Amino acid sequence: MSDAPSRRQNLITLLLLSPGLAGFFGLFFYPMLVTLERSLHPEGQTQGWTLENYAVLFRDSDFSRVILLTFFLAISSTLLSIALSVPLALLLRRKPAGHRLLRMTVLVPITVPGLIGAFGLLLFWGSRGWFNLSMMPLLGRTEPIQVNYTLVGLVIFYVWHYFSYTATTTLSTLEGLDPAIEEAATVAGATPSQVLRHVVIPLIMPGILSGSVLSFMAAFGAFSIPLVTGGSLRPLAVSIYKQIEVFTPARWSAASAMAAVMATLQVIFLAIYMRVLRRPTA
Amino acid sequence: MSNVMIELRDTSKRYGKLLANDRLNLSILRGELMTLLGPSGCGKTTALRCITGQVTPDEGQVLIDDIDVTNLPTHKRELGMVFQNFALFPHMTVYQNVEFPLMIRNEPQAESRERVMETLRLIRMESYEKHYPRQLSGGQQQRVGLARALVYRPKVLLLDEPLSNLDAKLREEMRFEIKDLVRRLGITAVYVTHDQAEALAMSDRVAVMNAGRIEQIGTPDEIYECPHSRFVADFIGLSNFLRGKVVSSSGEQATVEIDGRLLIVPAAGAAQVGQDWLVFVRPNDIELLPVTGEPIENELDGTVSKLTYLGDRIDYRVALGSALELRVQTDGKVRFAAGEQVRVRLPPASCRPVTE
Repeated sequence: MSDAPSRRQNLITLLLLSPGLAGFFGLFFYPMLVTLERSLHPEGQTQGWTLENYAVLFRDSDFSRVILLTFFLAISSTLLSIALSVPLALLLRRKPAGHRLLRMTVLVPITVPGLIGAFGLLLFWGSRGWFNLSMMPLLGRTEPIQVNYTLVGLVIFYVWHYFSYTATTTLSTLEGLDPAIEEAATVAGATPSQVLRHVVIPLIMPGILSGSVLSFMAAFGAFSIPLVTGGSLRPLAVSIYKQIEVFTPARWSAASAMAAVMATLQVIFLAIYMRVLRRPTA
Repeated sequence: MSNVMIELRDTSKRYGKLLANDRLNLSILRGELMTLLGPSGCGKTTALRCITGQVTPDEGQVLIDDIDVTNLPTHKRELGMVFQNFALFPHMTVYQNVEFPLMIRNEPQAESRERVMETLRLIRMESYEKHYPRQLSGGQQQRVGLARALVYRPKVLLLDEPLSNLDAKLREEMRFEIKDLVRRLGITAVYVTHDQAEALAMSDRVAVMNAGRIEQIGTPDEIYECPHSRFVADFIGLSNFLRGKVVSSSGEQATVEIDGRLLIVPAAGAAQVGQDWLVFVRPNDIELLPVTGEPIENELDGTVSKLTYLGDRIDYRVALGSALELRVQTDGKVRFAAGEQVRVRLPPASCRPVTE
């Protein structure tokens, strides 16, 4: 008796889900499959199966350097983002004059398209940009400080583009904290730095972590920023692109194999992220 | 060493246009449980925060244990505090929560452990040491809060509406538990609440606050029996207020004319004929009598306009003429019906003049 309506409801649910499912399969799953298939064909062919593309990657010292660079950029920019986000969040929580503007500014980097942001950064940090125009006289230098196309420069640009994630989640966790908890610690005799160390930081850790994993993943897959500002420094996404852009004929199989490696790593990070989110927060 | 533990000397605090505390003067004795009682916005929390140091008064001084602490930061004041929403550290176990003040003070491990367990036993929570706050009930959390506040034997225990997040039955139990604990430890305690029953049940003395000022300080029964002002009378317990003029005065007593009726009221000071008085009487001090019977002093004629059955007592509204209505509560042994004519007696000893 109760079967008929529930079966109909299931059908309706399926119907409602179908556009989403079609989109998911057509736009995500299918391209992934094609990429995977491509990576298993010998280069330049559409038939025959081989693992040679992967073997080449793991023998190639260039590729290990690419992976290393990608990890270095993602990790260092994430750590710097945390170092920047925590004090910023502590400051913003006090709602100082102009805090609204600052809150908005924090979000600007994710709203600006990466390519536009990258060109803006190049101009700002370039030899005739505001950074050098103000720093050269200040430091008494005649030569501009080279930032663009350097590793340090790339880390700065990454931080600029990806720290919003960490900053937002850290701030929202911090603002969700019951002020009485900190008062309790203070009345109990804790100095401001002890309150921070023993109470505030442990309590906002889940917020810091969830934002950090997001920004880490985004930085790991970064494309426009390193493409425009990296010069010869090519992290994973840029290297994949170069396989197609630089070589004629384009090396689709090699590119696909690299993409498959990257996707696998990203899935692992995603799994870590989900675990972080699921951790019971008090 | 004076017998005063906490002293507020003329402390004032202003938030923009709002005068939250207006020249408070308050001395809290050693070992005393003093309650700051008042409606929300009366300034009791600001006064408490002046003691903790979370608020620095604009004027005046705060002394704790004979030391001027007006500008001493909170963490150096050696206080213990219990919060309305418990404010336990959610990432720490019960044990770690209670240990926190000792950990901050770098107490040696062994002594610290002993002290924590002793305090947990005091509140009967020793078997919960490994639990996290979220695994405890509200009452248990508040007991842990109490243990955390007491563990390092602070000079003063501050309690900021500690029972208002608990249900009614538990609240009553906790009242006695806290009172008993404070007595046994002999600690000076400041209790902030808006609940007058709580204040009467727990305190050695009560400071009733209104609009940033202290209206009256006294023992619970002084506050209840002899309120000085209309506000105190009205805030603590139920009250009737009758407005009248003194028509004659004879030392101990004054006769007040209220809406054409004469009432004898004890006059502690010199009552002056022609003065406007506000006479206050508690509903449960008023007697209701049938219309037949010997006439006695201070009786008025009225009609029962409404009655409400409250179980242990009956709440009557009695109309005296068209303009006056009295609230009367009786034990219900003799009952009257709505519309019935009655005699209302206001025993002179229960009537007292109060200021507006």
